[in-house]
Amino acid sequence: MDRRRFLCGTGIALALPHFETFADTSGAAAKTPKRFLSVYHPDGVGLPVKDDPAWKDWSWFPRGGERDFELTKVLDVLEPLREQITIYSGLSHPAARRVHGHSNADQYLTGADTKGHGPYQNSISLDQVIAAHAGRFTRHASLVMSTNGGIGGPRGAQTQSFNRDGRPIPAMNKPKQIFDMLFETGSQQAAAELARSKSALDFLMDSSRSLDRRLSQHDRRTLQQYLDSVRDTEVKLTKAQQWIETPIPQVDTSNLSLDADPREAKLYFETMYELIYLAFASDSTRVATFQLGRENGEGPHDLLSLAVGLGGAHRLTHEVKKPGGWQNLGTYNRYQAQEFGRFVKKLQDTPEPNGNGTMLDNTFAMHGSASSSFHLSRNYPIISAGGRNLGFDNGRYLKFGSGNEDNQAGAGVTSDAGWRGEIEAEELPLAHLFVTVLQRMGVETDTFAGYAGTLDRV
Amino acid sequence: MTTSKTNRRSPRAFLFLPVMLAFAVLIVVSLVARGNSASADDRLADVRSAPSPEVISLQQAWQQGRAASVLRKQDTNPPADPGADREAASPNLQTFADSILPVLKRSCLDCHGPDHSEGRLRVDQLDPNLLTGDSVAQWREVYSVLSNSEMPPEGEEDYALSNEDRGQIVDWLSDELNKASRVRQSERPRSSFRRLARYEYDYALRDLLGLQHSLVDQLPPESTSDDGFRNNAELLQMSAMQFQTYRKIARTALSRACVTGDRPPPVTYVLSMPEELARVAAPEGAKTFDVHDDDSRGQVRRAHLVDQDSGLAIAYRAASPQPTDQLPGPPPEVSTVALVLPANNELKLNLDRFLPDEGRLKVRIRAARSDNELAGDACLQLSFSAHTSNNANFSNIVSDRDVRVPAAAAPQFVEFDISLGDIQRNPFRKLETKFPRRDEFLHIRNITPTSGLNVLIDYVEITAPYYEQWPPASHTAIFFESPDQSNESVYGREVLQRFVRRAWRRPVTNSELDRLMLLLESYRGEFDTFEAAMLEVLATVLVHPDFLYLASHEAEPSAAAVMTDHELASRLSAFLWASIPDDELLSLADKGRLQDPDVLTQQVGRMLADPKSKRFARHFVEQWLGLEGLDNTTHIKDRTLRQSMHDEPVAFFENALRHNRSIMEFLHSDYAVVNERLARHYGIRDVYGVAFREVPVTAGQHRGGLLTAAAVLAMNSDGQHSNPLKRGVWMLERVLHDPPPPPPPDVPEVDLTDPRILQMTLKERIADHRDNAACRSCHSRIDPWGIALENYDAMGAYRTKIGKEPVDASAELFDRQTLDGMDGLKRYLLLERQDQFTRAMVHKLAAYALGRSLTFGDRVELENIAGELRRQGDGLRDLIHLVIQSPLFHTL
Repeated sequence: MDRRRFLCGTGIALALPHFETFADTSGAAAKTPKRFLSVYHPDGVGLPVKDDPAWKDWSWFPRGGERDFELTKVLDVLEPLREQITIYSGLSHPAARRVHGHSNADQYLTGADTKGHGPYQNSISLDQVIAAHAGRFTRHASLVMSTNGGIGGPRGAQTQSFNRDGRPIPAMNKPKQIFDMLFETGSQQAAAELARSKSALDFLMDSSRSLDRRLSQHDRRTLQQYLDSVRDTEVKLTKAQQWIETPIPQVDTSNLSLDADPREAKLYFETMYELIYLAFASDSTRVATFQLGRENGEGPHDLLSLAVGLGGAHRLTHEVKKPGGWQNLGTYNRYQAQEFGRFVKKLQDTPEPNGNGTMLDNTFAMHGSASSSFHLSRNYPIISAGGRNLGFDNGRYLKFGSGNEDNQAGAGVTSDAGWRGEIEAEELPLAHLFVTVLQRMGVETDTFAGYAGTLDRV
Repeated sequence: MTTSKTNRRSPRAFLFLPVMLAFAVLIVVSLVARGNSASADDRLADVRSAPSPEVISLQQAWQQGRAASVLRKQDTNPPADPGADREAASPNLQTFADSILPVLKRSCLDCHGPDHSEGRLRVDQLDPNLLTGDSVAQWREVYSVLSNSEMPPEGEEDYALSNEDRGQIVDWLSDELNKASRVRQSERPRSSFRRLARYEYDYALRDLLGLQHSLVDQLPPESTSDDGFRNNAELLQMSAMQFQTYRKIARTALSRACVTGDRPPPVTYVLSMPEELARVAAPEGAKTFDVHDDDSRGQVRRAHLVDQDSGLAIAYRAASPQPTDQLPGPPPEVSTVALVLPANNELKLNLDRFLPDEGRLKVRIRAARSDNELAGDACLQLSFSAHTSNNANFSNIVSDRDVRVPAAAAPQFVEFDISLGDIQRNPFRKLETKFPRRDEFLHIRNITPTSGLNVLIDYVEITAPYYEQWPPASHTAIFFESPDQSNESVYGREVLQRFVRRAWRRPVTNSELDRLMLLLESYRGEFDTFEAAMLEVLATVLVHPDFLYLASHEAEPSAAAVMTDHELASRLSAFLWASIPDDELLSLADKGRLQDPDVLTQQVGRMLADPKSKRFARHFVEQWLGLEGLDNTTHIKDRTLRQSMHDEPVAFFENALRHNRSIMEFLHSDYAVVNERLARHYGIRDVYGVAFREVPVTAGQHRGGLLTAAAVLAMNSDGQHSNPLKRGVWMLERVLHDPPPPPPPDVPEVDLTDPRILQMTLKERIADHRDNAACRSCHSRIDPWGIALENYDAMGAYRTKIGKEPVDASAELFDRQTLDGMDGLKRYLLLERQDQFTRAMVHKLAAYALGRSLTFGDRVELENIAGELRRQGDGLRDLIHLVIQSPLFHTL
């Protein structure tokens, strides 16, 4: 029991083995893991106005149509992966469209109305809905990571994952710690706790059976439900014990620099992505989130951009009007895209062990932010990659909504006039994309965050 | 295709069929009806033919209605003797054949026979044997419509029933139903074994362990039964997830109740206003002012420190008191230097990052009102906030209620108790770096609604973790002093025996103790201390069914399943305290004295006098009236008003309970129970303060009883508009206990895109909808009850116009009775429906007391309670006693 809590504290929810389930399904497709990754970057992207000379190269969104789109310099590093990715515009969570971008990382995967100030309540994040479904197949239900670690504060999240009560799940940020959690053996303490729990449950079962004899026929059914709950808990504990005893997968650690620090941005990035890759490849988990820094800067996040020769990440967004400003922000976004691309390529280059395509074909990986232009919580810049076997048709630039075909709404603004401004364009709720993702991940639902229905054309 | 579909009854449809068909009967027949006829029942006819009902005061209506009560004159049924009854009981088929069937044929068959089977009821096909036949549900409806004089419809001269005929059928049916109820009593499924509902579990845990704060946040909410209750045995489910949550909560609760080692050093902040004034006014150029100066008027309207002797003052809105690790010493003498907090001003205290993660935060504020002349209460409220970085902040109200400040010139301590582990904290408080910011703030706010009413504070003391004593009483209640303390195997047994008896509400057997001791021994080696290992065992005791469930045993097969004393104690405490029995109840049960009627009556009196009985009022009224509906509305923006609306019916009920008022006062009273905010909403003058109290109302104020409660009217509204349909359904379900059936599957949606419908007023729209054949049968029963409330808008405020149109709040019931507005409705209920309302109240209270759905088998006892209540004068407190004394309460 407390192993679960213990693990929660370290950024991971304990998953339970589900060996039997593999027997229920048949065929390679059914057995192939379906995986989900969401990478979040704060501070949005560069969105100069059209007549700004920087517009041509450093506006984040592509130009052109659905198939014949053209990438600007910000995303051109993804050109080789063009057929593996989809870029979206015109999507956002309606509840937060008028909220300052600094406060919005919390709701990117939840769609909750977390507001700008006052009492705070979040709701379950997309990855945790998937984890509740897919988590039973793997040792860890999900992997929750961020550069800053922990949970952050309300409206200053340092994690992308929220449980079903809307409480933040602490993110892990130290590569060594993540590696140990994934690939080192479970603790003796956890085993002892499980054993204690089991003897407590034995007592309850025994003692309740004598109660059973005193009950009427009808009330026995009520007690039976209790006994079933105890028994189910026992089964879960037994499985947890099995995981403790199940050998940890052996992984190739040659690419890993477990001591990497955000100060060494490139190395740190690559190590964190590598850990996600290893966790997926060893089927230790099928669900991961990774948040690059926190909104409003300072801390490790800034170190990433400083390490690639730029100013603090948050400052980049404020200084776009200075000489070279758009280029600097664009360069930083380009660098993020490049690291994401490297990870996507690696998945593409790894065949599924059971021969059902590549790992990328069975993974839906998304990369995005809850603001586009300066602190503006609209028109989220989102890229997704992979998922061909899940039903995603890539190589497209998908524009949604209307009134903002050239992504100029809120462009070029560097003052509060942006996020406080009137909503000029019609956008679609991002939750519709999430419903699509959920269904393709095998979760039977038609709603997310109160929005029903999938997103057309995806 | 369509035909076969309609004819095939789904099991679900069949379930509701009896109700639906009876409704349909009423309606359709009444539509066919023409002309006028004398009313069937003499007693009722008297009332109706009295000079135009408008001139009867509600008081008169109440008296006349009471005089006309049939229930009051009904004989009490003898106590059950199931064995003998079953032998003796046989259906009286002779009377049916001789006197009943001919009357039914004459008055009913044309509409409910082979030619027309209105509402799919055919009286010629009802099985007259109620003891074994399968027409009981239909007969109960027949009984109900005949005794309420709803059938045959008014104005159907050809089918009118003479009083004699009606009486004969009603008498025969009443006897047969009672016999059948007796016979079927023993057949009903027992569902008295039930899990504690979420709120009961919370109180039980807190009462058992002596904890201040709620722990059940993580448990899922309970679902509601058809009659609105959340403590219904059938619906209190259990799942593995929930079981694991119980385990987690048990551990948290025990870890809060028990302590290890030395008392942790406190973090204490003390703020003494004389010192503060000396400090902030000292620097050269400090912007002091004199409160008596004319030009300081603006400044005295904001928070400031003042020396009341000299008038020297300075603005003061925030402070950063320094923490110490000492317990606060005795407070200084009351000073004439004080912080003045005008209405809606606050003092913001920066407590930095030193508050502990867990434990109680005690905030003691010595305060007084500025003035005793101004009407209204001065209240303080606490908030907790952090501002971690630009735009990453929060601020939450953490005091669970607003605390009243004592009178002027008599400062006293106002205290708050907050659980630090349960509130949103600054997650960065442990950082070694300074960004994001690590500090936490406490806000003390004067939230009085009376402008000009200030709060004067001269001393503030903040301590955490707070303990009244060390070790705390919650700890020593479990790990008490004992000469055997050094011998773990003896002391362990003592600890377990005492704890388990209270948790399981019964004596513990030796073999149970043996098993628990084995568990303790198996854990002992893994823990450093005996206490830690014991807490593991106690956590298991708290997830045992004997704690989580209200247990019941199987009686000897032959006896009527009478409860044991201990089961009775648990049922009593669940009913009146929403919790577990205290030591007095358990001791009486140990001695086998609780079943003694005098002891029981005395105990019920004691329990009702205990403050824990407020939980009964709150939870019963919330569930009976469905007050959670208020939380699902979005149109009441004023938080204080919404809370006051929610509290009014509870306060009304408490008041009625305290004074043993007639339950008819729920229908109408010449007083309201209100606080300042609500009185303002109702336009009642001279009510000040947050406390609810009884105040007389005049007819012109249009209040009195529960039907005029803003909560009821507002929650049965759609945002901006009143909703007569919702209100009508609510009246039928909650007040008359005559719920309408769910809409049939072929009901068309009201098409709001149709321009013809858009142009209609709401009442016209309803009428239009009702004209649709599929909708008519139900709606003509539902709508009038809601239309009569149209004088109240979506906020529950009284109105005479909707937009520019005058309100039309008159509606005709299916039996041609006109309900003219709230007054007409009340007059009708008091004149004609007192017995029905009594039965409804008895039903609601009994269902809540027993924690299960009531069945046909319970009918006899419910009728006995209702009859006895009417004879005793309808007192609410009497009703509680009657329910508890009833055999229903003592059997499984």
